[in-house]
Amino acid sequence: MDSVRQLEFRLIKIMGVFDLVLVGIGLLFFKEPWAFIIGVVFGSAIAALNFLQLGNTLTRAVTLPPKQAQAYTTTQYFIRFLISGVVIALSIKAPYINVLGTVLGLVSIKFIILATHLFNDKTYYKNIFKRKEDESNGH
Amino acid sequence: MEPITGKALILAASAIGAGLAMIAGIGPGIGQGYAAGKGAEGVGRQPEAQGDIVRTMLLGAAVAETTGIYALVIALILLFANPLVGML
Repeated sequence: MDSVRQLEFRLIKIMGVFDLVLVGIGLLFFKEPWAFIIGVVFGSAIAALNFLQLGNTLTRAVTLPPKQAQAYTTTQYFIRFLISGVVIALSIKAPYINVLGTVLGLVSIKFIILATHLFNDKTYYKNIFKRKEDESNGH
Repeated sequence: MEPITGKALILAASAIGAGLAMIAGIGPGIGQGYAAGKGAEGVGRQPEAQGDIVRTMLLGAAVAETTGIYALVIALILLFANPLVGML
């Protein structure tokens, strides 16, 4: 399962770079940049931990019987969901944390995955303009 | 009986809205569970592909999970930082 860990750490490293870009945007465009920066760091730290936990969950789930794997993964999802809820509620309540920063940090993993595994693939763009009828005809 | 004020109406509607938004948080959980079950079946059929299966599932599950976070953000903003109350 080393390859899973490698993928996780590679994406977390890219997330760090993405955070630096967000911090730069915060410094340039926000009246209170520190609240935004704290939000971004807080959100992305929790997102990284959630992502590692997701990796551990799936690594264990595939070794279980299918029904048990389904129940186990769903339970673990709701635990992560609860953690995300606490983080967002905390950032809404605390005046020194920007909510937008926290949310951007939490969902940054999605943008990174899409950017590194979908939008960098040329066949993805080619398939957008490919007609469905052509595929069925085998052309 | 006192008449219902505008603020009370907004708060009540916001609470209902927050509850409805939270329904969107259930979907990714069911989806992830289903994917993991199918992944377990796949590993049972082809154990040497375990790494590939887990990696693909990890990326898909991480993208799906953020959809639940959007719902959570909407629900919590409606509950704790409702922008509509200030418009009265």
